[in-house]
Amino acid sequence: MTGRLKLAKSVSVVLSTFSVILIAAGSGAHAQSEIIKSQVIGAPPEASNMKLVGSNDLQARSAYQPTIHHQGDRWIAYIGHHGGTDDIPDPVNPMTGKAEPNGTSIVDVTDPAHPKYLRHIPGQEGKYESGGAQMVRVCDGKQLPKGDKNAVYMLRTFGSEAHEIWNVADPANPSLITRIDGLKDTHKNWWECETGIAFLVSGAPDWRTRRMTQIYDLSDPAHPVKIRDFGLPGQEPGATGAVPTEVHGPISAGPQGNRVYFGYGTDKGGFVQIIDREKLLTGPKEPTPDNLRFPEISRMPMSAFNGAHTTFPMLKMPIAEFAKDKDGKERDIVMIVDEEILNECAEPRQMVWFADVTVENRPMVISSYTVPEASGAFCDRGGRFGSHSSNESMAPVYYKKMAFIAFFNAGVRALDIRDPYHPVEVGYFIPSITAATDKRCVKIDGKDRCKVAIQTNNVETDERGYIYAVDRANTGLHILELTGPARAVAGLPQ
Amino acid sequence: MRRWLLTASVVAICTASALAGYQHVRSNGDGWREIAWPFPRDAWPAGRAFRCATEACGGEVEVYVRPKIGFCNCDSGVADDDEVDRVADLDLMSERFVPLAPGGVIEVADMAGRLRSYDLRMQDGSRHTAVGIAVSKHCDLLVAVAKGRGEAGGVQRAALEFLKSIAMKKWMTAAIDGG
Repeated sequence: MTGRLKLAKSVSVVLSTFSVILIAAGSGAHAQSEIIKSQVIGAPPEASNMKLVGSNDLQARSAYQPTIHHQGDRWIAYIGHHGGTDDIPDPVNPMTGKAEPNGTSIVDVTDPAHPKYLRHIPGQEGKYESGGAQMVRVCDGKQLPKGDKNAVYMLRTFGSEAHEIWNVADPANPSLITRIDGLKDTHKNWWECETGIAFLVSGAPDWRTRRMTQIYDLSDPAHPVKIRDFGLPGQEPGATGAVPTEVHGPISAGPQGNRVYFGYGTDKGGFVQIIDREKLLTGPKEPTPDNLRFPEISRMPMSAFNGAHTTFPMLKMPIAEFAKDKDGKERDIVMIVDEEILNECAEPRQMVWFADVTVENRPMVISSYTVPEASGAFCDRGGRFGSHSSNESMAPVYYKKMAFIAFFNAGVRALDIRDPYHPVEVGYFIPSITAATDKRCVKIDGKDRCKVAIQTNNVETDERGYIYAVDRANTGLHILELTGPARAVAGLPQ
Repeated sequence: MRRWLLTASVVAICTASALAGYQHVRSNGDGWREIAWPFPRDAWPAGRAFRCATEACGGEVEVYVRPKIGFCNCDSGVADDDEVDRVADLDLMSERFVPLAPGGVIEVADMAGRLRSYDLRMQDGSRHTAVGIAVSKHCDLLVAVAKGRGEAGGVQRAALEFLKSIAMKKWMTAAIDGG
């Protein structure tokens, strides 16, 4: 399902008998002249300085991580999926005619206006977070130190129980290369393509935490070499007492940056841990409390109300405001994105935080961002409202200039982060719901009360500047581009 | 005016109903009485705390109970003892606790889960017995932790009898079901 939708206005107007329209005050990109209290099928998307270029329904599968890879002269989107739903545990793949557990969608997005669905690789049987194949990373064989130069490798989770590597050189006909299994709660991995080092979020069966990190050398994807297990003291096998918050995902600055930023917690008790990468890889590996502490430089605790889903490093950012200062003109910044878990604002707001980690043993939160709830009556629309994730591409087109945040029922939000002390929203796009959009329910006196709303789950960008948003509630993939003043922030031609 | 009267009536009925439940738990005949939640604010809203100091409870036992909405594996529930270590609020009292034995399965308020006993060392060096309980319904947890000075079996028995009382069962069910 593809299409092009040109918006004449930057702010869409939805008139519906099911919508409650109020007059809103405000300024900036989030100022909306009407507040739409519920989405209806057939209504146009809501947008400011962003427009829809193309879309694909992803076979109505709940989507998590998109990774966009420039592959020869093609651009391929690899999209991980959560498990199926109670109503449709295994959606039918129209290409095979078979019911298949949600896995990985492979879509050719070379022409973003006409994305072409190439292949669905089934994942683990299971519903919601229990099945599917949520995570995807991709490396070229020619970049990996010991890879097959003709191969393109896709690392994915297989449900909660394994990591898999596929050769996707022919993205329509992928082949399984290897599998690391016997795990529980695999999740948000990071893979350094230039070294092959992979930080695999897993649950080793004997560890006391649901999720910890297994570090592998995947420079030769056909022959994975385990380097070590890593977690926090208290999580290791045989420990007693309180169990520290579980990891959600790391992002490495690679051998040049020599840092790995680990995010712990999802929506509660979070913190950021700054790790010396070299010490992590070469230090003593036995999981004793001392050995686990050895590579740690510092931890920055967050409020118990929030967790760290994504910890996106932006090192050596020039800060215009500090340009004339004799010291501290450049700052190392980590953008922390929390994940909202509960529907209809039933927990403290999960949002975006910017931390200055220049002085590594004294990291400090310097600013925050959330979508104003009143700008869209988002607590009333249904489903989750709050942040979940950001783009993680470090391609120059947006890196250190703009960030894109998946904000569930508030869609994708485009932030000008050139001054991370004062992030500013410069655009947004809330996709329309479709017949495939799944309901989200809350308990009222023991009974489900359900609503249907967009649930923009994850977002990624490519080197061309397209923005890829995917939906947790089965609405598919939306390919977007910036318009108007938001393009100027990134230095894109008007 | 009519709307105001209706609202006032609803509020009055709800308040009376809530108070009735509250007082029932406070003054039940087994010696349990409700006390203030003694812990500082953390990631979860405060729960309810109770103390029994009669011989029927085998000496002083305190029970702390609260829901943790959206904190459970929706499919597997409370599947192992590590989960009880992680979620049962033992760390509110002290971060230093050692399990006395493998835990076991349990059902509280029609919710299945696990229970485990611990040796709890407090900050002042004193030692207590603690019993951690975690049960779940769909993606939501209900956790309780009991603390006493007696042997683990006695603390466990007293805590479970209390948690299985009609008033507590009613409250726990409502807390999980969004009542």
